Amino acid sequence: MFLNITSVAGEFYGYIPFGDIVLYVTEFSAISFVIALFFTLVVYFTKPEKQLESQIGGFDKLNYVSLEELKIRRLMAILCGICTAFAMLTGDLFNYALFLAVIGITNIGIVSAVKKEWVLNAAYYYGIIAMISTLPLFGGAALILAKTGTLSILELAGKHQDLLFQKMLYAAGMVGETGVAPFYAAKAEMFRAPGAPYILMIHLSSLLIVIRTAEILLTI
Amino acid sequence: MDVVQHMFNYSVFAGFVVGILSLIAIGYQRSDIHLLILTDVVECAMLVIIAALGTDLAEALILPGLVVGLAEFLAVSEILIQRCKLRKKEREKKTPKLFEEFLVVEEPKVEVDIEHPRMEILYSASRFISLILVIYGAFLTGFTGGAVMSVGLLFYLLSQGIVSRGISSEDIKDFWEAVAGFSGIMWALWIILGFIGFYLFPEHYVTFLLIAGGALALKVGSKLGLIGDLKL
Repeated sequence: MFLNITSVAGEFYGYIPFGDIVLYVTEFSAISFVIALFFTLVVYFTKPEKQLESQIGGFDKLNYVSLEELKIRRLMAILCGICTAFAMLTGDLFNYALFLAVIGITNIGIVSAVKKEWVLNAAYYYGIIAMISTLPLFGGAALILAKTGTLSILELAGKHQDLLFQKMLYAAGMVGETGVAPFYAAKAEMFRAPGAPYILMIHLSSLLIVIRTAEILLTI
Repeated sequence: MDVVQHMFNYSVFAGFVVGILSLIAIGYQRSDIHLLILTDVVECAMLVIIAALGTDLAEALILPGLVVGLAEFLAVSEILIQRCKLRKKEREKKTPKLFEEFLVVEEPKVEVDIEHPRMEILYSASRFISLILVIYGAFLTGFTGGAVMSVGLLFYLLSQGIVSRGISSEDIKDFWEAVAGFSGIMWALWIILGFIGFYLFPEHYVTFLLIAGGALALKVGSKLGLIGDLKL
């Protein structure tokens, strides 16, 4: 195994072998891991916000998050945080793609308990995009495996192969899965759902994932 | 050559073709449930691409890929069910009308006879403010300027509704569509007449520059879509 990673990720601290799955820690991934775990704790300990909704021709009303709704959404937000944290550490392209897909599912789960039609509409369209983008994401990983014979980022970092098309597919899959720029329209509506710390988790996870994907694609 | 290696290119190609064809089908599809089912076809195409590798590792990768795909499918279908329930519940409630807050519901009964329409400020101020907004928007240019300009136009329309006998949502719709059509014509002037004219007749560039510049300012100014969407 090549341990001399010279990349944008900063200093290489070491790797944690779990059988097939190898996690590795660099300066960048350690910081991102801590941030994701910290926000998971924040989500666990804070109460959700109460959203004030102005009405036409009536009194404004407060949107409370009921206890039943809160339990589902908090569970989903914590799962999302844990997935984000370990996606920062993973050293396997396919594993990373799986983490991304699970983050997509939990993002839908966070807003699915909200009983508002526009939120459910937005979550539906985001889910459609996330499902479609599994094709370029997993397909990109499979094509990298076909060309190089490995999925390990540590192995790929040592060699310099021409993986431009595969990387483009992988990046396109990430873009759809996290719902950034071209697919942002549905996700922006999801943020309008009441319940602040859970919604913030959607933001944070996609932010960290975007940076981490850029780092992976520059490393391999 | 191994048969798996021989088939690799064809199966990857087949996977992409199936994916792209189902994307086209999704583009044509209007029904929500059919959209979801077609999206599942894209995931099957993803499995085809992974399966094209034909190694033990690929076999180990298909299973998590399939599980994740099914989980997403279940999550989205659950969303669809929730939304259908919610729609059924809210069908009885009335739907808000366009610009409901600006329309007169009922005349307020006032004992003293105040003649609102006689007040001079109601006539002059609204025109003045909308004129300022339009001119300021023209100076700003770009999307911000367009938004300011169209706010000016809309403000004028709504204020006319207060001054005269009242304004119906039908009037607003007509006005909106007229301005949108005007905007489209200006777009055609800007791109087709002005911009292509540069390349076809470079010697008359000043004329085409003026056409393109003027049409661009009018087009952005009449871009009412910047303030919002019209739902009727």
